[in-house]
Amino acid sequence: MTLTRWRSPQALAGALVALVAGLLVLYPVAYLLQAALNTGDPEARPPTQYGFDNFASLLAYPQIILNTLTVSFAATAMALVLGFAMAWIITRTNVPGRRFFEQMMIVPYYLTPLLGALAWSLLGTPESGFLNQVYRALGGHDYLIDINSAAGIAWVMALFEGSVAFVMIGAVMKSMDPALEEASQVMGASRLRTMLKITLPLVLPGVLGAAVFCFAEMLGSFAAALVLGLPSRFYVVTTAIYTLVQQYPPKITVAAAMGTSLFVVMFAMLFVYRRIITAGSYVTITGKAFRPRVNDVGRLKYVLLTICVLYLVCSVVLPLLTLLYASVQKISTAFPAASNFTTEHFYKAFTMNAATTALGNSLWLAFWTSTLGVVLMGLISWIIYRSRLPGASVIEYIVMFPQAVPRLVFAFGMMWAWLVFPIPIYGTLWLLLIAYLTVFLPLGVRTISGVMLQIDKSLEECAQMCGAGWAYRIRTVTVPLLWPGLIAAWLLLFVASIRELGASILLMGPHSKVITPSIVESWFASSTELTAALALIQTAVVAVAVSVLLAVTRRVTTHITD
Amino acid sequence: MVEEARKPHIEVENLEIHYGTVPAVRGVSFSVQPGEQLTLLGPSGCGKTTTLRAIAGLEQPSAGEIRIGGAAVYSSAQHVNIPAEKRGLSMVFQSYAIWPHMTVFENVAYGLRVRRESKEAIVVKVDRALDMVQMRPYRDRGASQLSGGQQQRVALARAFVFQPQVLLFDEPLSNLDAKLRGDMRIELRELQHRLGVTSVYVTHDLEEALAMSDRIVVMRDGLIAQVGSPGDIYNTPRNAFVADFVGSANLISGKHRTDLDADGLIALETPSGAILYGMAHGRPAGATLTMSVRTVHLHLSLQKPNASRNVWPVRIERTVFQGDFTQTHVAWGDQRLVVRAAGIEPLAEGQQAFMTVDPGRVVLLEE
Repeated sequence: MTLTRWRSPQALAGALVALVAGLLVLYPVAYLLQAALNTGDPEARPPTQYGFDNFASLLAYPQIILNTLTVSFAATAMALVLGFAMAWIITRTNVPGRRFFEQMMIVPYYLTPLLGALAWSLLGTPESGFLNQVYRALGGHDYLIDINSAAGIAWVMALFEGSVAFVMIGAVMKSMDPALEEASQVMGASRLRTMLKITLPLVLPGVLGAAVFCFAEMLGSFAAALVLGLPSRFYVVTTAIYTLVQQYPPKITVAAAMGTSLFVVMFAMLFVYRRIITAGSYVTITGKAFRPRVNDVGRLKYVLLTICVLYLVCSVVLPLLTLLYASVQKISTAFPAASNFTTEHFYKAFTMNAATTALGNSLWLAFWTSTLGVVLMGLISWIIYRSRLPGASVIEYIVMFPQAVPRLVFAFGMMWAWLVFPIPIYGTLWLLLIAYLTVFLPLGVRTISGVMLQIDKSLEECAQMCGAGWAYRIRTVTVPLLWPGLIAAWLLLFVASIRELGASILLMGPHSKVITPSIVESWFASSTELTAALALIQTAVVAVAVSVLLAVTRRVTTHITD
Repeated sequence: MVEEARKPHIEVENLEIHYGTVPAVRGVSFSVQPGEQLTLLGPSGCGKTTTLRAIAGLEQPSAGEIRIGGAAVYSSAQHVNIPAEKRGLSMVFQSYAIWPHMTVFENVAYGLRVRRESKEAIVVKVDRALDMVQMRPYRDRGASQLSGGQQQRVALARAFVFQPQVLLFDEPLSNLDAKLRGDMRIELRELQHRLGVTSVYVTHDLEEALAMSDRIVVMRDGLIAQVGSPGDIYNTPRNAFVADFVGSANLISGKHRTDLDADGLIALETPSGAILYGMAHGRPAGATLTMSVRTVHLHLSLQKPNASRNVWPVRIERTVFQGDFTQTHVAWGDQRLVVRAAGIEPLAEGQQAFMTVDPGRVVLLEE
């Protein structure tokens, strides 16, 4: 091509960024597929023989498939019921403190499923769980709840990963024009009839979409199943992959086939999700936020209030208190005793080499992931949504690809890929940095492009018409307008990096420990109480970052509405 | 009238633009003379904005050529595509595109800063530009504190402050309310004359196009429907689309009665037998004809007028009072026609009346 556009810095930057993103995403996936199709000697690189035998051998694990489906269905069902109920209560009823509850709904998500699993494990293991101890002290037999069961794992997953259902259903309910319901009532339909004939059909695509999305998330979820399932040898597909890779000798090819199948299924589900959302787009056709009509529920509001409070107790208050309570005891038990009180675990957490190194590494990684990530993902967003370069939509697909792959599976491909990479970065923090930049591509690009799409395109075009070149307009117009979005993305990436588990657990080496996998290691290898302390410290770091994030985003919203 | 000898400032030749596989502009050619104000007029989706953006360099055409001052800025044959910032044009956007993170002064100074003008020169030029749009008192305000009309003026000052050769306008008045739009139309026209700058203006608003242009290009479905002065476009529309889009018109079809053609007039017989005389304006008249009559050129009266041609009895079906004019629907044979007139006594519905039109106002349409 001799068109001058191709020689511009914009095209060069675009090509470079596209190349980097493509390499980051596709290189590991290629290795994953290669391993999955390798039917020859598993040690031989590249494989000597290809076939589908590894996939056929998956049928030898019917229990894992059954477990995965049971847990995912149960968790999705619970998350949907919870999400729908909370979304309806918060957006459509006059329950007191709706604003407060709405803001609190995101807290479980930030607490992470890992923290939830640790806390609920302390509460609900059959023998030593606090709740079961209390139950027996009150005269009960055996145990009240078994958190290490399929139901227990699904419960924790629903509590801590179900907020996505709330967010999605809540968005649908908010985007529904109240006039649609009012019209029905004006025509003489009763409230119930309006609910059945108007409200439900309108929110149904959104709920269905949330169901599919949730199910895909649950299929790929890892932390809760690991912490709660491993002690009782209850494996789901993600924990099975982890075990197959970690055991000796590792069954790499079978794990690869399992991972490939999982991401194919998740990919299909996300495809279905997109279809549902586009097909049901009449709900949000105006894209406008309405002030939803609030129903006066009368006395019922105290029941609904109780539901909200109970949800928060189970997902926030109880887990945090449990961890705090366990972390200040010498040996954690349900019944307090002054002699059992200690602060040694916190002291240990701050002085123990392994812990401080892991935390330091995590902070270093989080800083660089978010800093480099914002630049990379900002450029990618710009290329996808603003550059008019051909191939922009292909880049979008590549960049969003990691969303459909559980991070554990992705890390598995990466492990394989970077092992043979000529520059020896395997087992170093650099590998983790690359991994984070890859798996968080969708998160960063979505955040930044969300703000970018709100900025009128003509603001940049006008700078161009005033004669400003690419770099000049990016510097004087795009970046200043995008600034709040960039800060929000930075903080989100920071938080995500600090709490990352799935990718880190496979990729960290003995000299590149990071905090979240270290918490898991500590849980299985050393003391429960120390783990509780570590988890709380990590939560505090995340909490600080999130409060800054909230303060910034609030300023952004006021800035935009000005 | 256009002088043939002068070299056109902007030339667009066989321009084609596709969005993916969808053609938006399907072979458009026109030129703009130096200092001329040319308007691209058409309904939404006709390709007018896309054409303007291609001239600006914000849209990549798929074929054709665009020359500015004789030099190709886009040419598919020569593989030339100069980026927008190097074309030396300027543009006023529909959304004004006032940068919210800068003051009025900074907004206007942007193009001068890009051109590395000295600080003193920038202050002088920005203030002069702000004076021209009466925005000098607001120079230190933030953009979010301005009303729509004020933003529009700032956008205008920003567009001409660095003395571009060509100004492009993308529906600049469409976001203003009707009253302000009327005032701004006149102001813009005066400013354009004072600056003497070549400009291309895009609008879907007929009045705006008629009031502001030296010449109008009417577009439809990515093609040019007609090019001409506002008078040409209004008085002698080429086809049914232009007649209908440019002001309200009645379209009347029927057989060509060559036996009745006389005095340079063409005779049309409607299916219900009425004879309508009109002007051909050099257009070929076939066996069947369509003629256009503007609603304002039809006249109604209770007494039979003294004209030998184009007088018919009609029945008043409905009158609609619309403020500045009254719109009357009449039954003319088995056809319904619309008549608009200012300030007459509304005729009673169901009443019989006479309708007449000057044959010079009846225009034969092509195709």
